[in-house]
Amino acid sequence: MTASAVSNNMKVSTDYTAQEIIVVAGAKVLEDKKIVFVGTGLPMVASLLAKLTNAPGLIPVFEAGAVGPPLKRGLPLSVGDSKTFTGASYVKGLNAAFELTQRGFADFGFIGGAEVDMFGNLNSTMIGDFPAGYQKPKVRLPGSGGASDMAASCERTILIVPHDKKKFNAKLNYITSPGHLDGSPNARYNAGMQGKGPYRLISTKGIFDFEEKSKRMRILFTFPGETIESIQAATGFELLISPNVSEFPAPTEEEVRMIREDIDPTGVFVKRIAK
Amino acid sequence: MENNDNMFWTGLSPDEAREALVTKDKSMRDKQMTLKEAVSRFIKDGDNVGIGGFVNIRQPIAITHEMVRQGFKDITLSFHSAGMAPDILAGAMMIRPDHCSIKRIELAYWAHEAFGLSPVWRYLAERGMVEFEDWSNYNMSARFKAGAMGLPFIPSRGPLGGDICKTSRTKVIDCPFTGRPIALLPASNPNVAILHVQAVDKFGNCIIRGTDATCPEIAMASAHTIVTCEQIVSHELVASHPKDVMIPFPAVDAVIQVPFGAYPGACRRHYYYNGDHIREFHSLVTPICKGGPLDPLKAWYEENIFGVEDFEDYIEKFGNKKLMADKAAESYNCERLA
Repeated sequence: MTASAVSNNMKVSTDYTAQEIIVVAGAKVLEDKKIVFVGTGLPMVASLLAKLTNAPGLIPVFEAGAVGPPLKRGLPLSVGDSKTFTGASYVKGLNAAFELTQRGFADFGFIGGAEVDMFGNLNSTMIGDFPAGYQKPKVRLPGSGGASDMAASCERTILIVPHDKKKFNAKLNYITSPGHLDGSPNARYNAGMQGKGPYRLISTKGIFDFEEKSKRMRILFTFPGETIESIQAATGFELLISPNVSEFPAPTEEEVRMIREDIDPTGVFVKRIAK
Repeated sequence: MENNDNMFWTGLSPDEAREALVTKDKSMRDKQMTLKEAVSRFIKDGDNVGIGGFVNIRQPIAITHEMVRQGFKDITLSFHSAGMAPDILAGAMMIRPDHCSIKRIELAYWAHEAFGLSPVWRYLAERGMVEFEDWSNYNMSARFKAGAMGLPFIPSRGPLGGDICKTSRTKVIDCPFTGRPIALLPASNPNVAILHVQAVDKFGNCIIRGTDATCPEIAMASAHTIVTCEQIVSHELVASHPKDVMIPFPAVDAVIQVPFGAYPGACRRHYYYNGDHIREFHSLVTPICKGGPLDPLKAWYEENIFGVEDFEDYIEKFGNKKLMADKAAESYNCERLA
């Protein structure tokens, strides 16, 4: 690679989208040589980017049963897509995939949700009056899928939720995927769950962790153009602020090119909307 | 409406499921029949129907078309993640509730991942037209597994601490060995399993490629199983690879060769998704959710299900060019030497 090619690779993108920075952040949060249980949508795109960049030894597991596929046939449209099975080391079915997770083989779970609270609990079931209106919700969402299983049994979970005051709520309509529950000491262990729970949350405005004692969501990185104040203003509960909070760098032109040309060229999960 | 807080069995209780196998003809006989005959013999009003596949992978679409043609009343649907199969069954309930009605749905996820949400699910749930019970994917697979193991329940970690425990028949107990909370899930023993697989012999020994999803457990848990397949192969060929048999013949009651039987969903080694058709179906339903007329959806069912003799007629409408393209896309996904 020539010197000018290297500098082009590092050039900061000026037209990246909100979804694209989520994907880049997601890839960077993932660690090399770890097993990640990948949920559908943006987590799949981020895992592919991680494999191509900072985590070539990442081992994806998909709930339909594929373990460790190289994903050389392109972006899967589903966690049960044929593309997830080609080249996989091990393929069974849903029970086998979730048993592996329950046993403790998954270092990370990577999931999304429609609504999140300050303890990283997620809702992907319903919007409406709960419990009275459970059988006739205002808005019916698809349901848990495997997300609540990953939340309950992966060692650590990474969550993706688009940032919006309506989606970052003090109280969820329904807890589909348990996070740190009410934040009380050992809440997860006392409820019978495995794993340390939510580790990072990536939104359209920044990256968050969960403060060790209180288990409350805490700003770790602000995305370019955002401030602590602008993020707090778009959040329905009080955020904690990390003493080391800093700005997350904008994606490079090369990262954006990889997402648009190599990973999701038809915009299946990463929509082409200019920021 | 059943209250999920109380215990009750949908489909068969564990004792009834046991009894169903005691009285079942488990002989090694030729089970090939028409899809018409299979659906009319094995699916009854009020049945709990276990649906195989995963989202839009190997969904038993041809079977759901035949069910709609023949009609069904007060059935329960049990699945983990599904897309077009419940869309076809429930869409029929939207336009002809006199002919097709679903009483209850036990599920983890009903949507289409890359192809969007299911407007059919939203229509039914938001109008309170069906009772339902949310589970997680693993919950549903484990419930079928308990049924397949001949046990009344199975312990699970997930999803302790969340609301699924409150809106389902999950019981959380203190583990008698560790003292920590553990969730107990009631077994699911459907009256009938509906599955689509790659290959079967005439006795019902099933070969599955790609994900097994939870098809083996659903078949073993159910009183009866209808299997459609891309290809019926000789018993000799299947028996030369007995460890590749994911569902053994005594669990299967009907074997029908239906090429493209999971279309417009995908079937590994055979064809990839026809996402345009999935979205086109949804484009007929979405306006109805906003108060629009039922006529375009009625016309779709008339053209593709009620107005045709069988699934082959429906598949023929896509044209050779499109079907070949979807086969070629799948050939790329799992490239093989000739």
